[in-house]
Amino acid sequence: MIARRHVPHYLMLLPFLLLFAVFFLYPIASGLTYSFFDWNATSPARFVGIDNYQRIVASRDFRKAMVNLGTYIAITVPLGITVAFCLALLVDSFKGVWANLFRAAYFLPVILPAFLAATIWRWIYAPSFGLLNMVLGWFGVPSISFLNDTSTMLYALIAVDVWVSAGFNMVIILAGLKNIPAHYYEAARLDGANKLQQVLYITIPMLYPVLFFVVTYGFISALQVFDIPWLLTGSSFANYGGRQGALLFPVMDMMGRGFGALKFGQAAAYGFILTAVIVIFTAAMFAFGKRRFAQ
Amino acid sequence: MKIARLLASASVLAIAFSTGPARAADPVTLQYWVYSDFAQGDALKLQQEFIAEFEAAHPGVKIAISGKGDDDLTTGEVTGAASGNLPDVFMNGLAFGAQLVEAGALDNIYAKWMAMPQAFRDQFDKDAIASCTPKPDTMYCLPYTGFNEILFRNLTVLKAAGIDTTVPPKDWAEWFEQMKKVKAAGKFAMPDQTQVFNSVASTFSVVGPHEDWGIDFAAKKTKVKPESYAKALQLFVDMKPLSSGTSRNDQATKDLFITNQLAFHVIGPWVDPTYAQAAKDSGLKYDFVLVPGAKPGAHAGIKSYEILGVAPGKNAEIAWQFAAYVAEAKQMSRWAKLLSRYNANAAAMADPEVAKLPLIARSVEAVKYGLDVQPPYFVGAYPNCYNQIVTDNAAAVADGNETPAEGAASLVKELDACIAGD
Repeated sequence: MIARRHVPHYLMLLPFLLLFAVFFLYPIASGLTYSFFDWNATSPARFVGIDNYQRIVASRDFRKAMVNLGTYIAITVPLGITVAFCLALLVDSFKGVWANLFRAAYFLPVILPAFLAATIWRWIYAPSFGLLNMVLGWFGVPSISFLNDTSTMLYALIAVDVWVSAGFNMVIILAGLKNIPAHYYEAARLDGANKLQQVLYITIPMLYPVLFFVVTYGFISALQVFDIPWLLTGSSFANYGGRQGALLFPVMDMMGRGFGALKFGQAAAYGFILTAVIVIFTAAMFAFGKRRFAQ
Repeated sequence: MKIARLLASASVLAIAFSTGPARAADPVTLQYWVYSDFAQGDALKLQQEFIAEFEAAHPGVKIAISGKGDDDLTTGEVTGAASGNLPDVFMNGLAFGAQLVEAGALDNIYAKWMAMPQAFRDQFDKDAIASCTPKPDTMYCLPYTGFNEILFRNLTVLKAAGIDTTVPPKDWAEWFEQMKKVKAAGKFAMPDQTQVFNSVASTFSVVGPHEDWGIDFAAKKTKVKPESYAKALQLFVDMKPLSSGTSRNDQATKDLFITNQLAFHVIGPWVDPTYAQAAKDSGLKYDFVLVPGAKPGAHAGIKSYEILGVAPGKNAEIAWQFAAYVAEAKQMSRWAKLLSRYNANAAAMADPEVAKLPLIARSVEAVKYGLDVQPPYFVGAYPNCYNQIVTDNAAAVADGNETPAEGAASLVKELDACIAGD
């Protein structure tokens, strides 16, 4: 009787479950299956066990992509969030039209199409006559080929990435700032706390859930970095990652194996390795966050 | 009895409406994928004219044209082949041909090609047809538009450097001397030729024999020879202090040329509309000449073709007819006249009205000397690592990390390992 009473509820869930199964569960299961096959998308797939995983892990490009990714994440996530946090504090200190103006200005890069952002930055980074080299030239610094010198390429990307992502994180942090009751700051001021102490002992602890979201989201986004380095290096499926693979990242390597070399089995395996890394990272972040929340 | 008759009639009807070659009378919509610049402005208008003419001659046939970016074309065609959802007629570059064959995206059109009148087959450039025909009885594409690099010269920059612009440089030595004069005048001579695979190939073509370029797929080895390649690497070393540091494809490179900061740009004719517009808007003074070779009378530059492929399947016959229609001399003449772009239809290129167009005339001449970018076509796909190794090596030698001789020797080793899949 109870089961019959719930039938309409299950029926109402059915469209979602059907779409979820077709467009989410099936591709995952299919991808996982193909990761154990040698498959070029048209010829019959040949079972190769874990060979695809072994080949990827043993490949030079995978090691390079992972090292690049590790360095990139280690810098871009903390730097990006610090910049966003500072911008949010700055915008929060303004009132009325100025607050709106700065918020819109800092958010602009977020809505800029990636190809446009990359084109602008290719111009800024251009050797000899690029804007940045021109400014550096005033101080006697010789021209730097930011996007072609392997020692600067990663940092050039990080600067673009921080520029693009700071606005998005700033808006989220700003929303969090608005929710901090003003009387906390009044009490702190009465107790003689200076601005820095107010930020350290009120703002940051009160923003903890927001910062946790921003950090977690930043990690997940950074792990999937693709479009900006692809465009900055003028990559194609035949040639990607820039000089000596200095801007080669896992998603680019995965795409290249799939659509460049038609090794879809390897590309699927790559996807699952990357997914595993993201899941482990996210789980670790949540475990850490839960402990902090409990405290 | 009645039921049996009904079933028999239903079977006949089912067979009649089932698969089989689409006849002109069958209502069918062909998907036609082109490069995005073919689906914009005047090019699109002309493509739509071709489509309208073909549709009028083939009642029931509709053509849906879609413009795609380079990578989108390849991914769409590969995934389309995998999912059975290929466009019926599509473009791509010759260099991606082997990949598309491997993916099962290209129909073998040899029988259809041979069934065409001799007069039709004779229209096409023989080398271009050979590129589409990797072995007997096998043909994977119709060569369509194409290019051979030419040397765009900024005349204002050259004159400011004290160079006589009335005669193009006769060989590399003279060209290099001009580059040095340009640099001495405070301008950039060339883009950085090490950054893009095609510009490395282009530089190799100045000094290297064509047979020393590409992959020997049977032997699984590169055809690059250290002796000839070292000479090309020396050119990168020589050009390094004279270059703008931007790649030949960068927007910044075109901007430098337009603003009279860059003297030479070796590239295909597709930049001409931009430069022609700048000539109108800002008085840019430029011309285009053949790329000088190592010796007087020799010329360099790379060449390639965009191809028209036909997908295997029930629409293959009518799709072939459409491909043959758009690639035919009459249409290709109109295309060339409108856009001043070289194509693989030799008969169209010989049309007096087309042949007199300066850019076409120069391209027709240049293509005789052109180096194929990734030969041999339709035999094997270049491994992913190949292009990257070539550009990294050229940059490393240009930066002085290796001598040209060392760089050439290490390149051959690395390319062989890449081809072998190590």
